[in-house]
Amino acid sequence: MISLVFIIPIIFCILAFFIKNNKLNNIFTLLYAILHASLGAIYFIRPDIMLNNQYFNLNSSNIIFYIILSVVFLAVSIYNIGYSRNLALEFDNKKMMHYFVMLLIFVISMTGSILADNLGLAWIFIEGTTLASAYLIYFNKTKHSIEAAWKYVFICSIGIALAFVGIILLTIATGNLNSLNYEDMMANAANFNHFWLNVSFVFILFGIGTKMGLAPVHFWLPDAHSQAPSPISALLSATLLNCAFLVILNIYKIMLLANCIFCARTMLMTMGFLSLFVTSVFLYRTTNYKRMLAYSSIENMGILAIAASLGGVAYFAMVLHLIGHSLIKASFFMTSGNILELFKTKKIKSIRALGDLDKKTSWLWIVSFLGICAFPPSILFLSEFFIVQTLLIQRHYILCALFLILLTIILFAMAKVVIKMVFGQKNEERFEKAKANLNKITPSMYIPQMALLTIAFVLGVYIPKFLDIMIRTTIMG
Amino acid sequence: MVNGLIILFGLTMLYLSTTSRLIAHVKIVMIQGILLFLICAMGFSHMPLVAITFLTVETLIVKAILIPLFLNKVVKKTHSNRDTDANIAHFYCLLISSLILFGGFMISVVDIPSLSMINPICFGIALSTIIISLWLITIKHKILSNVIEFITMENGIFLLSLSVAKEMPMLVNIGVLLDVFIAIYILGLFVSEINTELGDMEVTHLSDLKDCDND
Repeated sequence: MISLVFIIPIIFCILAFFIKNNKLNNIFTLLYAILHASLGAIYFIRPDIMLNNQYFNLNSSNIIFYIILSVVFLAVSIYNIGYSRNLALEFDNKKMMHYFVMLLIFVISMTGSILADNLGLAWIFIEGTTLASAYLIYFNKTKHSIEAAWKYVFICSIGIALAFVGIILLTIATGNLNSLNYEDMMANAANFNHFWLNVSFVFILFGIGTKMGLAPVHFWLPDAHSQAPSPISALLSATLLNCAFLVILNIYKIMLLANCIFCARTMLMTMGFLSLFVTSVFLYRTTNYKRMLAYSSIENMGILAIAASLGGVAYFAMVLHLIGHSLIKASFFMTSGNILELFKTKKIKSIRALGDLDKKTSWLWIVSFLGICAFPPSILFLSEFFIVQTLLIQRHYILCALFLILLTIILFAMAKVVIKMVFGQKNEERFEKAKANLNKITPSMYIPQMALLTIAFVLGVYIPKFLDIMIRTTIMG
Repeated sequence: MVNGLIILFGLTMLYLSTTSRLIAHVKIVMIQGILLFLICAMGFSHMPLVAITFLTVETLIVKAILIPLFLNKVVKKTHSNRDTDANIAHFYCLLISSLILFGGFMISVVDIPSLSMINPICFGIALSTIIISLWLITIKHKILSNVIEFITMENGIFLLSLSVAKEMPMLVNIGVLLDVFIAIYILGLFVSEINTELGDMEVTHLSDLKDCDND
């Protein structure tokens, strides 16, 4: 059954290639999103059905990542109904077909990297995500988009190559074990060579960390996220970074089981704080609101790295943060797509009085901001609260202070931008031009964000039992 | 004999760091492809027949013929003859590369129990090739030079995967995907697209996207 999430979209891709119809492309994407989510639902409704085959496995350790991908992809598919209608005014059917085919291949690759039960296979799918998403970043074919796509492909390729070096070194560490299967490696972790394990972790963390957007190997991320079409930016930020994080997390678990954790923990912690620092510095300089969101993704990946390195309650916080960031950031990026459709610019200084122009978009923009800044009852408030609690319990007082200071700086920098954009003094000429574009924003470009934000805020006050179990099994698994 | 070929492979990196002619860089990539083919064919007969056949055919066709041919075509198409604006003079380039290569040789002579699982000379040369390639990427200005150094880095990684003295054909085979990756995207699409869009192949021209004023 698990093979269906790979076979069906390939059939859709072939059909889309021959039919080249925009409406049909949307239907295919939506159908795939529903199928994708259904598989996750089956995992809960019928636990007796084994969702695995020789290479892929939906289990307790990757189910959260899979569900997040399903939910965000479903939201993006709905958003795409309106967004692609506007895109189709600029591009021909053939180009639109390329957009949808690459989108499906991108999601297949992410699904593969999440479900792969083998490190080698996960690496191949991570490489696949680069191939598919590079085209999507380059979709507009402008000078800036080609620059962003080139940096993305080149930097990530080097990262992926270094991760491969890490995998080779890991095979040396595994000794006589001739397998890269996660379960096999975890079962035999106690016998691994610690020296080679540490060296391999360094390479894998830097290599896959490039894809995850951890500082100091994050340079492609602000460019790529800001130049990609907004639904693609949402997928890049809310799901692709998670896929890379899952690989790092699996290797980290092996390090944990091998009782070789000091180096890995220190490196994750350092890269996490460096990500927060880089975000806090660069957010002040940025004049592009999509770049602002991209830097926020770097910040949140940093928080995930810190939570993973802390252990204890912070593991629980890590999973909560993963869910919250994905839902809210996807909503934030899709709303930025609405703003771009209205004002036709990404410059912060050109966007004022958003609240007067489009109430729904401005509210989505504000609520997304409040969510990402961990304003209660956002789920991120819970996760960041638990991380601070763990830092205090483990007596990292200075790190705790640093964590809070950096988060405050980031909050201030983002708040400044959001408030200016929504409540700033309007420029009549620009405002009238934007008003003429209001008809481009269809209901399908509001509904997904509303749904995602509702989930993110409800989870901040009530975590359903099935989700609680899922989070706990993810931590244990 | 195989060790001689591996050392020769390492020495090609010294030539790469001293020359600015792109066509010479392409020739080095071709020579490295041939050397890797010979190393696979002669030194790894203990691997299963299917794996060894796959590796030799892949190194000969993709690494030694297809990629250099494609690079040659791009060099001619873009009229990029030299990469003269490297950040460091050739003499110092050679000096630093030699030091890194020397470090690689040193790894191969040090007797550490942790190294028992690997072929030391292969491991040392592979590691120094990767480091030299990464370093050259940071100092060269032409996009094409960067791509060539990426390919030499990938060749180094391929050699590294051969250095593991245990049967891991799957691992080596997935490494081969890196070649396909380069061929499809980096060379086929982007290099020519960048040339068409920007009319030049300088890395410095790809710096429009900043945190300050751009759209």
